[in-house]
Amino acid sequence: MRRFRASLLILPAAALIFLFIVLPYVTVLVMSFRAPGANGEPYGPGFGLQGYAQFFDEGYYLWSLPQSLLLGIVTTFVCLVLAYPIALHIAGARRRWRGLLYGIVLSPLLIGIVIRSYGWTILLGNSGVINSTLRDLGLIQRPLPLMYNDFGVVLALSHVFLPFMVLPLLSALQSMDPAVKQAARSLGARPFTIFRRVTFPVSMPGVQTGCILVFVLAISSYVTPALVGGMRVKTTTLLVVDALIDQFQWPFGSAMALILAVSAGVIVLIFARLTAMKWN
Amino acid sequence: MRIGALFLGLFRLLVYTFLLAPLVIVVLASLNAGNFLTFPPQGLSLRWFWTFLENDVFIDAIVYSSILAAGATAVSLVIGTMAALYFVRHAKREAEIVRIGVLLPLILPEILTAIALLFFFYEIGIGTEYKIALFTGHVLMTLPFVFLNVTTSLQGRDDSIELAARTLGASRYTAFRRITLPLIAPGMATGGVFAFIISFDTFGISFILKGSGSAPLPIQLYDYLRFNFTPEAAAVSTVSIILTLVLVTLADLLFSRNSKA
Amino acid sequence: MTEVSLRSLVKRYGKTEALKGISLNVRHGEFVSLLGPSGCGKSTTLKCIAGFEETSDGQILFDDRDISRKLPEDRDIGMVFQSYALFPHMTVAQNLAFGLEMRRLQKREITERVGRAMEMVQLTPYAERYPKALSGGQQQRVALARALVIEPKILLLDEPLANLDAKLRDEMRGFIRDLQKRVGITTIYVTHDQGEAMTMSDRVVVMFDGEIAQAAAPEDVYDKPASERVARFVGNANILELPVRTNDEAGVELGLPGGLSLTIQRPVPAANGTLGVMARPEQIALTDPAAGHLRGRISKRYFSGGHVEYHVETDLGPLVVLAPTSQSAKEGESVGLDFDASRLWPLPGRTGSAESRA
Repeated sequence: MRRFRASLLILPAAALIFLFIVLPYVTVLVMSFRAPGANGEPYGPGFGLQGYAQFFDEGYYLWSLPQSLLLGIVTTFVCLVLAYPIALHIAGARRRWRGLLYGIVLSPLLIGIVIRSYGWTILLGNSGVINSTLRDLGLIQRPLPLMYNDFGVVLALSHVFLPFMVLPLLSALQSMDPAVKQAARSLGARPFTIFRRVTFPVSMPGVQTGCILVFVLAISSYVTPALVGGMRVKTTTLLVVDALIDQFQWPFGSAMALILAVSAGVIVLIFARLTAMKWN
Repeated sequence: MRIGALFLGLFRLLVYTFLLAPLVIVVLASLNAGNFLTFPPQGLSLRWFWTFLENDVFIDAIVYSSILAAGATAVSLVIGTMAALYFVRHAKREAEIVRIGVLLPLILPEILTAIALLFFFYEIGIGTEYKIALFTGHVLMTLPFVFLNVTTSLQGRDDSIELAARTLGASRYTAFRRITLPLIAPGMATGGVFAFIISFDTFGISFILKGSGSAPLPIQLYDYLRFNFTPEAAAVSTVSIILTLVLVTLADLLFSRNSKA
Repeated sequence: MTEVSLRSLVKRYGKTEALKGISLNVRHGEFVSLLGPSGCGKSTTLKCIAGFEETSDGQILFDDRDISRKLPEDRDIGMVFQSYALFPHMTVAQNLAFGLEMRRLQKREITERVGRAMEMVQLTPYAERYPKALSGGQQQRVALARALVIEPKILLLDEPLANLDAKLRDEMRGFIRDLQKRVGITTIYVTHDQGEAMTMSDRVVVMFDGEIAQAAAPEDVYDKPASERVARFVGNANILELPVRTNDEAGVELGLPGGLSLTIQRPVPAANGTLGVMARPEQIALTDPAAGHLRGRISKRYFSGGHVEYHVETDLGPLVVLAPTSQSAKEGESVGLDFDASRLWPLPGRTGSAESRA
């Protein structure tokens, strides 16, 4: 009776997730094996592998995959490099400052993704803040290509997803016994050695979580590459949405989405294997 | 060593600037008196805010997004809190499955979830009609945030306090209302604010599932920005940022009063 | 084997003084405990010696060399932390090797010394385990071995037994003490547990409010406390305030209710008016109601296996008496109390003159 009453608590959430996450994803899987439609229909009768075949046949689509994955990896790396000193700083800051720094780190989350990306277009555009400032200073003649290319997209994505890297790092650093660092010092280790041999390895669970989160978010992001990349940086995710919404090719779009998801999954698995921690 | 510390400090300053830059730029751009999004602004003025106030499309979008966010937050608060209570109090072997299950909408790529929902609702014959798909999507997106916050406020609490209340003669319902609810209220408040903001700002779900008719604010902004480049978009963004800040501050006030009591 | 010397150590946090001038000499190979309630400055003192806190004033000397401005990593100390602070991502062997690697020793020597250290703390079979897979007592021994394997000049222990259960704690007391004697290392041990301090140390330093109240051998701290506060913090103490009848070379005669008197055969300078004396519970014996120095009635009786503790109401207030179980009295019974006058300890600072009292 007690178990039954308790299970009523989880029932709505379980139903919601099963009906509107599990079943729809199964639908995508099924859709990817359907035959392409004709005469403006999103899909045709019967099943086939045409969706997958189309992806591998056309270099335009096939090449977008490694490029997207690389974009995700670079973004993740940039985030890690930018986030680590910040996480260390906040973990070591006094209480009074911590709230403010925390607020700054979370600020990108509190503004919508459209506005954030839009902010970057104002900054990076040909007549944007950076270019016009540099031109006024006489440092450049023609505007630097900051936007509508991989550089701009990586920069904007790193900004958008930086909080997702800082937060896991911070929680790993904060759950670390401060006496561990002192112990290393008492044994004769200098600050950089402590970082290399103790702090960083102990924060590895945070590094892992942060990297996986940022990588997955980055390769599946849509708005930022669309606005900052100006449709000139073709990520697989952009092509998926294009195929589904504009071209109305549902089996092909689904197949492409699944290929992207599986590739990302493989990379995450390899990463997890490489950074496996026996001690945890 | 000194130089290393200086370099590190400078680097941190740069990253903090990097984090705040787009926010500051959008607000500054909205005060531009000129016609285009140029920098430095051609004088300061509030004219683009007046333009925005006269533009029914954006006003409608803000109202529409607010209603959508409020509805999704309300449903998420109930379902998410129940799930959190189950996860902390009752889940045993299945705990990890419950946690990952509820967090799935956060873990899975939003755009893919949106597409999956689109297909699913077409399969069952509703499609994007009646905004049911859109609303479901928003509930899904906000659910993990309520769950995470309520879970945090429940964890580390002594499980036996509600039992203690029962031994003192409180009914199951009274014990929940008088003991548990006040304890998780701050978590629910924070989770609710998060949920509202996420719903207000989410793009992928709204973009794919919006259907015909009025659209949420991020979609209207996105459509506008694809073809226009006036500071009006910046003004709309600034208003949206201010709304968010007001909401966060309110929740913070409520939260700190709660934790003091 | 280093002599540690603290000279008027002062530590200020803003306006509050955590240490108000600590001076202490620790001899070669000596085991000294810093004992006191929380907030008394014992941990701060240890952190200053380790170098994790900068001193505001005063000096810390290791073998006459001032090291108070040296960084912790250059002080050559071994430290055991309350939380053990083991490196969670390293095996037992890797934890022990860390300090030796910092000293850039040859690989062969590291392996050899780590091996010996693990034998010393009986952990050889656990060399490849991670700290998470060890019990509390085992973790404690790893922490101890890690601190000792670098053969530091001094060993600092910060409440290392606080996180262990009672039985293990008793075992570890003996283990640490034996190890320290075997290695012969100068050791400073911080604790709030007076039993721990008594059983392990050569010398106990009692601290209150950032000052040293007494530094002496455990027996002396127990039998001859420097103040009432020390007397009460270290074990149970009965404090009696008695009128001084006579005071001369031969000793002090103190008056008791009912015309009886007690004589301390030792001169106590400046004892006029009243004198505060301390008697430990086991220094008072139960006798027949007619005999003894004082009459009383037993209000509470607690049996504790080896002894019986009696709470006795007397004309001088409630007293605690610890008696062997061979002698038994019931609650409510009238008894006589017999003091062991040779062990009564006059408390400095509790003497008063009749004039000033009036």
